[in-house]
Parts: sequence; structure tokens; C-alpha cells
Amino acid sequence: MAKDTGTGAGAGEILLDIRDLSLDFRTPRGRVKALRNVSFPVRKNRVIGIVGESGSGKSTILWSILGLLAKNAEVTGGEIRFEDRDLLHASEPQLRAVRGEEISVVFQDPMTSQIPVLTYARQMRDILYRRPNVSVAEKRRMAVEMLAKVGIPDPEKRIDQYPHHFSGGMRQRAGIAMALLTGPKLLLADEPTTALDVTMEAQIIHLLQDLQKELDATVVLVSHNLGLIAELCDDVVVMYAGEVVEAGEVREIFHSPQHPYTRALLECDPARIDDVSRKLPVIPGDIPDLTKPRAGCIFAPRCQRVQEICRTEKPPRVARSPVNMARCHLLAGPAHDPDWPPDPSVITVGRGVEADATTHKVPAEQTLLEVSDLNVQFETVGRISAWLKGLETRHVDAVLDVSLTVRPGETVGLVGESGSGKTTLGRSVLNLVAGQAGSVRFEGQEIRAMPEARFKPLRRDMAMMFQDPVGSLSPRKSVRALITEPFLIHGITGVDLDAEAERLADMVRLPKPFLSRYPHELSGGQARRVGVARALALNPKLIIADEPTAGLDVSVQGEILNLMADLQAEHGLGYLIITHNLPVVRHIADRLAIMYLGRIVEEGRTDAVFAHPVHPYTRALVEGVPQPDPDRRRVHVSISGEVPSLLNRPKGCDFAGRCPIAQDRCRAEKPAHVTMPDGRRHACHFPLT
Amino acid sequence: MGFYLLKRLGLAFAVICAVVLVLFSLLYLIPGDPATIALGPRASPEAIARYAERMHLDEPIWRQFLIFIGNALTGDLGVDVFSERSVTTIVGERLGFTLALVGLGMGWAMTLGIPLGCLAAVRPNSWLDRVTGVLSVSTIAVPSFLVSIWALLIFAVHLRWLPAIGAGEPGDVVDQLRHLILPAFAIGLSWVGYLARMVRASMLEVMGETYIRSARAFGLAPRRVVFGYALRVAILPTITLIGMGFGGLISSTVFAEIIFARPGIGKLIFDAVMARNFPIVQGGVLVATGLYILVVLISDLLIAWFDPRVRESL
Amino acid sequence: MSENRFNTATGLPAIDASGVPDHVAEADIRESAARERREKLRMFLTNWQGMTGLILVILFFASALLAPWIAPYDPNALDIPARLSGPTLDHIAGTDQLGRDTLSRILYGGRVALKIAALGVSIALVVGVFLGMLAGFGPRWLDSLLLLLFDTVRAFPTIVLALATVALTGPSLGMVLAIVIITSIPQYARVARTATLSLRNTEFILAERAFGAGTARMLWHHIMPNVIGPLLILAAMEVPVVVTVEAGLSFLGLGVLPPTASWGTILNEGYLVIRDTPWMVIAGGIPLILTTLGFTFLGEALRDIFDPRMGKGR
Repeated sequence: MAKDTGTGAGAGEILLDIRDLSLDFRTPRGRVKALRNVSFPVRKNRVIGIVGESGSGKSTILWSILGLLAKNAEVTGGEIRFEDRDLLHASEPQLRAVRGEEISVVFQDPMTSQIPVLTYARQMRDILYRRPNVSVAEKRRMAVEMLAKVGIPDPEKRIDQYPHHFSGGMRQRAGIAMALLTGPKLLLADEPTTALDVTMEAQIIHLLQDLQKELDATVVLVSHNLGLIAELCDDVVVMYAGEVVEAGEVREIFHSPQHPYTRALLECDPARIDDVSRKLPVIPGDIPDLTKPRAGCIFAPRCQRVQEICRTEKPPRVARSPVNMARCHLLAGPAHDPDWPPDPSVITVGRGVEADATTHKVPAEQTLLEVSDLNVQFETVGRISAWLKGLETRHVDAVLDVSLTVRPGETVGLVGESGSGKTTLGRSVLNLVAGQAGSVRFEGQEIRAMPEARFKPLRRDMAMMFQDPVGSLSPRKSVRALITEPFLIHGITGVDLDAEAERLADMVRLPKPFLSRYPHELSGGQARRVGVARALALNPKLIIADEPTAGLDVSVQGEILNLMADLQAEHGLGYLIITHNLPVVRHIADRLAIMYLGRIVEEGRTDAVFAHPVHPYTRALVEGVPQPDPDRRRVHVSISGEVPSLLNRPKGCDFAGRCPIAQDRCRAEKPAHVTMPDGRRHACHFPLT
Repeated sequence: MGFYLLKRLGLAFAVICAVVLVLFSLLYLIPGDPATIALGPRASPEAIARYAERMHLDEPIWRQFLIFIGNALTGDLGVDVFSERSVTTIVGERLGFTLALVGLGMGWAMTLGIPLGCLAAVRPNSWLDRVTGVLSVSTIAVPSFLVSIWALLIFAVHLRWLPAIGAGEPGDVVDQLRHLILPAFAIGLSWVGYLARMVRASMLEVMGETYIRSARAFGLAPRRVVFGYALRVAILPTITLIGMGFGGLISSTVFAEIIFARPGIGKLIFDAVMARNFPIVQGGVLVATGLYILVVLISDLLIAWFDPRVRESL
Repeated sequence: MSENRFNTATGLPAIDASGVPDHVAEADIRESAARERREKLRMFLTNWQGMTGLILVILFFASALLAPWIAPYDPNALDIPARLSGPTLDHIAGTDQLGRDTLSRILYGGRVALKIAALGVSIALVVGVFLGMLAGFGPRWLDSLLLLLFDTVRAFPTIVLALATVALTGPSLGMVLAIVIITSIPQYARVARTATLSLRNTEFILAERAFGAGTARMLWHHIMPNVIGPLLILAAMEVPVVVTVEAGLSFLGLGVLPPTASWGTILNEGYLVIRDTPWMVIAGGIPLILTTLGFTFLGEALRDIFDPRMGKGR
């Protein structure tokens, strides 16, 4: 087995070769076979991407390369050859010599991966500790140089600061600088942009591209983000439930995927779907339980093209070229299907239970929710501190002059990066956060600052779904208690709570046995369904959904969104969807409102906004999304810098500091909201045409 | 740093004031004539009259309190009922004995407990870790006054290695040190376990943090990771806990002073309680409490020193 | 013990924490919940510290409750000829200066300890949790006020506060109980407050507010169940502290009054005759140590099993 995987010969020198890697985690539930016979080569001076959903084991590979696995991990076989050494069987001192010097890492979350109590100067000097003949001053010079290279302004001064002085994007730049400081032969990157906003992500991708070219580095990139993989990688390895199902060059993978899972994954990615129907494709089912032994193909239970042989026999490894391979019965052997894979235009996965495009009705004309000129302020410092420091204002505007309407049956997407005030806006509509000025009307009734006692009956008509699917469920309550709680809160008697619980579970397609479970026993998708059921319990008219797809895998988020679309069609619900995920919102929203630093900068019909952004920020967002197509790589990034802090809101246009077309007027005067002839609104002095 | 310091000082001041208030109002929470309660039923009428005058008992309560707190803050804690000496002077004479005992007791506990906790955390489930674990739980569970009594029984009464009572001859440093050993051992013993456990727990917590894994991924030497990185962060909660646990240490000290007849603050308060000499009790309690508040304040400042995030917070 | 967190970081399927796919049968779920319970029970049964603790705690309860039936003598019966005897067949734990049987006095003394522990811990727990949740969930000014109150009470080392109070009221069991409750309330309150504060801004509490749930409902149904677990374990660990405080105060003559038997008074009487016989301070100390060890071991084991995040230590 080990022999035939070393197939990279002739296709470039191999720097790192993973052969037959198998690994278990010992857990109280039994041994989780997290990796099974994983093999792939990493070719020198190329970027290889490992892509998979959560639970695919992609990060585990990364940590086994470094020998930094969790204590309950046990390697059961295989080898990891780095140049002429086997890292799996190397001693700890040998591994330590490799870590940092020859193989370095960029971490997922720069907020938690850098020690908060040491300065960057200290952290970077520590990384260079194995160079005794380099003076401290020289080490510092090297660090400053590297910080400058990754685009940190004023590095000579900033190197003496602590991580908490840096914003998220700057921290990730510093993290990259630390990883590259020693000039490693191999760079590992674990979801390097997942913790970042869209515009920051675009910049980091660009930086990584530049650095890779400049340094001719070899990179292993782990991500669930197909766009990131397509933008950055030369080779791709597709993982599913601890196995490599397909590997090959990036164009092959994205343009002619061989394995049904790869194909399904690509079809599910909203960013790749061009036709704007309201239904998203889904891969039904869940990742299998890896504690149980499984015969046959690991993907068989969820595969649309499953055959008898798939359940009993391991699929063959079919190689099209030295670097391209897939494991599937459809490609070779007795179950070979010459018509597989079908033409890219054919959709191979399902689109949810009821495929209906017809019920999509035109939104009614009356308004359900009308927000006008809403202001929400946050207190930033206490009275005494403000007095001590001589501050004039103790508040910042989290939401500023926001106007927005939602009609029955309509979906409005509220889009913005973190800190844009979108979540605050959603919460203040429901009086969870107090608004300071403006008005919020629900069915014509003014509800801002309404006393809770009067507002409570209205809460039956307005429900909210929160960002964290599991975290928004009270952890010590059973699903049944959670679903029926709204009835108890509002003192609704005369209903059979058990029957209601079952009705709602049916409605959100949650199997009934789950009613007796507790939130921590649910997967993200299941918990999200419980959230939807709770929101719908009292037949509301408006649902405010905060990041409804956050934390869900691509294949699962489609199911939730389809469910929400079905329920909307059935009950005529109005949705206000708060999200940073443009590809998703594009498919589900009728209208979009783009927020930046608490203001709405552009608002209009979704198709129009996407086709012709009027505000430069909108354009930056639309272009900032990495396209899951290796042929559509961007060559430049249209937006630089970071979202300013609310504490120092610019005097003029909030976006002026980052805007490529900003002029003096933008820096001096805040643009007012302008309604264009086609009904779109924007806040820009020089709208794009 | 300035604002943080100011805020902490303000807080400590507020607590001191509240403590004074409690001490003051204790007299009035008990029904009866305050002077008689303070000095006990056997006190002579003259003493009671003197006390009433000194405490301005004829004034309204709020004025009494203001006078009391004003005096306390300017260092005037009243006078001893019997000797008519200033309470501040008497407490001051005894404070040194208490500080020496507390310092030595805590000192040996820290030099042993903190490294032990580190070692246990670096090798979880090793024999050292297991032994440390059982020992720390056991030493924490044994009440310190029992340690004092048993230490007295074994080393002073039975083996006669060390002196049993007193603080030693004034001026004779060696003799004074010999008198310190047993009480310091008694009050420090449970702290060895307490510290070892705290350090171990917070080290283990920190060792699981992502940034420790980053440091290891950059190939830093284990010693650097443990002492330069993990301990640097893990020491923070430990400092807080040392500050908070200091109250317990004072209680142990009081017992040790009484059992070993050591003339410190604790013994002073105890004797004053027995002799119904309330001004001394008030003064002693205020100083003991102030000592605790001071230690908590110092621990807060140390944390600010170690942690840039705290330093810059409001 | 940090396995859970580590697993997500290493890509172990964290989403299916119990590993069951959508189409699972009800029996499977029941089975997995039962398996988890069995696993916890097994962990407890194989934890020698936990089992030792449990046995000691049962012993403590049984001996205190059954004292009138198992004590060989009346605790106050005098046997003058046999006074100050060491362990003999007649008096297994020896006798005191009046010839009273020490074993019988220990058994009866356990009743005092049990009474104080049961009342003190439960009342302090209830009041502490209530105040803590109030501080954590209520308005800012209330939080600050309660915090100041907690800090003030905590600033008094337990024994020092007891000395100050007893100086005025004179010793009594009721006073001991009051001191124990007052000084331990801030402990519970602080833990409850911190937990409540961290829960207060979680999404599930926000979600409850969005559904219109009232404050009482949120506190009782959603915050309390998440706060109470660690607090119950804390309560188990507080029992030794309470028992020690009672024994300590009685030892100083500030608690239970003679002739009532208490572990503290036995130690006190033993301390007075320590140069004549070691047996009384030995016999009086052993039940105290066994009880504190028992509750500490039990509390630690429960914490490790049910709340691995809280201590992580032994």
C-alpha cells in the first residue's frame, strides 16, 4: 500500500509524503477512528489544500504532521515522511528541531493563538531562540522586517505592543509573520481566514498569495471554505469522515470532480450556484459515527448514487493521472458507470423535500416592520471614569439613522461585517437592546421603548433566532421543554403540550425521539431545527434570524434555509436575516441592506445590488467573496484597511478612510441617504454607476 | 495603570470604611447600654463613665460614628480600658510578631507549594502528581489549629526539640527564630497544599490553551513553554487566590498565636475578649482586617503588573 | 480532562457529540444517556478518593445520629478513679480530667458538628445563591452594593469576626451558627454571581428574553439549574470548613459551653492537660481530621466527575 501512494514521482519533487496514516481518538464512547489510511504527497513549492466539512479529520492531519496531537490521540499506522525523515516516529527533540524552523504554522484564530501577556518582540525573539549566534538586536531587526513584509504599518513601534493592541486582521498578519520568521520549508495553515471578516479575508488571501510567490513556499492549507481553496491552492485533497475520497490538481477537482461527495460539496456551495432559486441543494444525512466499524464506502449512507456494492465493499482507488485520484465504485469495477460523472450542468444532489418554486409569492404591499431613523447607543465608559478622564461623551453610536422595512412574506437580508451593528439592530427591534431615538413600528404600532408588560403580547408575533444554534438553547432543558416553553411563557392554556411538541418537531423535520434529548446531545443542524421550531411555536408574523447558517456545514445549511423558505411560503412569514454571508443571502433574500459601522450604506433588490453595487463598500463586499472557481482568481484586492473602531467614527463618510474613490468631500461631510429612481437607496457622495 | 490603581484604592478604602462601620455598629446591635456591653458587667462604674465620655456616647449615633471613623482614619483607635494606654501603640507593639509569623509561614509555603504545583502540572498523572495531589488534599483538610496543637505535642512537649510558648528573648534573634518555627510550620502547612493545587489547576488550564500549542508548534523548548509562557499566565489566578485565601491564613495565625502563647495581634485580641476590653478588640480587629485588605490590594496590583490587559483596563 | 476542547481543535467530530445520526431510534438515545450515567457511576466507584470520602462521610453521619445508642457511657458520667487515663479496655479513647469517657464525648460531639454543618451550610447556600443571582442578574447599582457587602464580610477573617462578636455577646452555639452562616454566604454568593453574570449575556438567556420570559422564570428555570451544580460541590467542600470553625471556636472557649461535649471542647480540655497526657488532644483531633478528609475527598471526586472544568485538579 505504501508503495503505490508515492505516485508523485515525475510530477515535481515531494517535500512531505503522508502514507497510510491512521489515527484513533480514545473517548468515553469508544475509539473514534478519526483518520483511516490517509495518503497524499505534498509537492515542493506548491500549495495543497485539504478540504472537508467538520469532522472530516482535516485539522487532525495537520497536527499529526507536527506531532502535537491531543493526548487521547493514538496513531495506529502509517508514516509521514518529511524529506528523508519519518515525523511520526521521530523523537520529541527531533520533532522540536523541525517545528518552527522547518515546518511552521499559521493558526485559525489569531485571538486565542497568541499569548496575551508577551509583546510581539518577545514572542518573535523566542521563535528564533535556536540561533545563538544571532544577536538580540539582529533578531529584532529580522522580526521588524517580517512584520513590515506582512503589511503591518509602523512595525518598529508596533513590535513592542501586545496582541490585544492589534485588531483581528493585524493579529493574523502578525501570526503569518511569526510563522515565516524562520524561513520554513513547509508552511501549514489551519483555516487562516475563518475568524476574519470578508474584506479582511480577501486581504489575507492576497497576502498569502504574494508571500507564496515571493518565497516559493510549500504550503498545506486546511479549510472548509471552497472559495479560499480555489483562490490559493494548486492541489486539493478532499476529505470525508476521516478518509481521502479524492485528490488532484485544483482545476480537475473544481471542474471535473469524480467522487460523488466532491461533486455534492461543490453543488451545495451557494457561491457556485448562479441561478437564484430559493432552494439550495443539500446532502441529506449526517456524518457517520466513527466509533462503529463500517464496511464499504464511508459516503454510501448519504450518496445519491449508492449501490449495493457500496455498502459492502471498499471502493477502488482510481487514478486518472499520477496526481489525480478518487475512490468510488462508479469509476471502476463491477459497478462502473461510464456516464458518471454527468455534465456539470446536471445537479446530482437533492433540493430538500418539497421542491417548489411556484409558491414563491410576491410580497404583500402593507408593511410588517418599519424602522425609521433608529439610533442605538452603547455606553463605553462608566460615569466616574469618564469624569476622571475628562471625556465628553460616554456613548458610541452602534446603530445610526437606520431605516428599514419588512413586508409579510418578504425576506430582507441585513449584511455587514462584525461590528457593523447588524446584530444590535436586530436585537433593538425586539427591545432586547434599548434604542435611543427614531421609531420602530410593528404593524403600524410604535414599539420602541414600549414597557415590557405591554410588549410581551407582541413577542408572540415576533420571534428571533440566535446565532449559535446550540448555545441559544437553555442547556438543562429537554428539547420538548424548549419547544413548548413559549406556550408556558405566554400562559396559553387549552393546548396539549405534548401534541404541540410533536407537531412542531414534524414541522421542522426533527425526528420525534429527539424531543427527549438535551441541547448538548444535538448536532448543529438539529439544534438549529429546534431553534426554528421554538421561533414558530406561536405562529409569529416576523422572524429575525441572526446568522441562521453560522457554524453549519455547507451540506447542512441548505437544509435549514430550504426549511425556512418552505415555512415562509406556507405561513407568509416576514424574515429579517442578519448575516455576513453574501453567497447565502443572495439566494434567499428579496432585498438587501448593507450596513457599515452602524449605518445602512445601500439598500435595494438583491439582484440589483449584486449586479450593480452603488456604494463602493458594497462592491468591495461582493468582490471580496472568494470564488470557488480556480479560473476566477482575483488579481487585486479592491479594499484595504480595516473597519475603524466605533470609538473614533470618521467625521465624514464612515467608509472614506478605506474607499478607493474617496475625495475631500467624503472626508468632510457625512453622506445623506438618497433614493434612486428605481427605489434603491444609498449613502454615498459619488455613487458608482 | 493610573486609573486602575485609583479604582483599586477607592475600592479598598470603601471596604475599610464598611469594616469600620461594622465594628462600630456591633455595639449597637446588642440591646443594652453600649458602655456596659463593651466593658462587661464586672467593669467599675468609673470605667464605664470614662468609656462613655471617651466614645461620646451622649452624642447622637451618627455623630458618634463620624467621630469614631475620623479617629480611626487618623490612627486614633481609643485607649485601653485598664492601662489607659493608646490602643494604636499597643497594637503597634504586637504587630511585628504577627507579621514575622505570617511572613515566614507564607514564605515557606510558597517556596514549596508553587514549584510542587508546577511539577505536578507538567507531568499530570505521574507518581509525583499523584503524591502531590493526595498530600495537598490531606494538608488542606487538617485544620491548622489541630496542626498547631499536635506540633506542640510532638516537637515541644514530647521531643522537646523546640520551645512551646512565647516569642523568645527580645534581642536574641536565634531564640526568636526557634520560637517561630513551630507556629510558622503550623500555619504554612495547609498553604503548601492549597498553593500546589491552585498552581497545578491553573497551569493545567493554561497548558490546554491554544497559544501554548502555538508556542509548541513553533518549536519552543519545553522549559520555555512551561515557565516562560504557561506559568506567566497561570500565576495570575494564583495571585488572586493567594490574596483571597489570606483571610484563612490570618485565622490560622490567631490560633497559632493563642496556642503557642505568642504575643501577636491574635493573642492580643483573644486576651482582650477574655478581659472584656472592647477598645483593644476593636483596634486589633481593624488592623487584622486592614492587613487582609492590604494583601488583596497588593495582589490586584501584582496582577496588573503581570498582565498588560488588566493594566490598561479601566 | 481538557479532552473536549482539544477534540474540536483537532477536528474530531464535535458536532455529533453523541455520534448519533438523524435517523436514530429512540431506544438508542435512551441507551446512550443510560451509558453516560453508568459511566459516571463507574468513574465514581473506581475513584478511591471518592469512595474513601463517601465511607468517611457515612461514618460521620451514622456515628453522630446513633451516638445515644452506640456510646458506651453517658458523655457526662464521671469516673473519677480513672481520670486522665490513656486508652484502656474500659475507655477505648481514654478519659478526661474529670474521668469522663472520651469516646462517648467524641460521639456526642459529632452531633454538635453535624448540627452546625447541616444548618450552617444549607442556610448559607440558600441565602448565598439567592443573593449571588440577584447581584448577577439585577441592576448595576445593586450588584456594586452587594459586592461591597460581600467584600466587607470577607475582609473579616472568620475567627477574628467571631472574636469581635463574642467579645460582646458571650459564647453560645447560636452565635457560632450565625458566624458560620454570615462568613460563608459571600463564598456561595460570589460563585453564583460570577456564574450568573457569565450566563446573563449568553444567547440562550437572550433567547428567553426574546420569547418574553420574565425575570423569575429566567432565574429559576434557566440560570439556577446551570449555577447550582458547582455550588452543591462547593457546599460539600465547605462542610469541613464549617466543622473546623465550630471546633476552633469551641477550642477557644467561644463556642459550645462546657459541659456539652464538642470536638473543640475536648481539644481545649486536652490542651490544658497536654503536659500530663497526650491522649485527649489525639483522640479529639482524629474525628475532626477524618470528617474534613471525608468531605474534601468526596467533594473533589464529585467535582472531577461532574464538573471537570471547575477544578481540573485533584
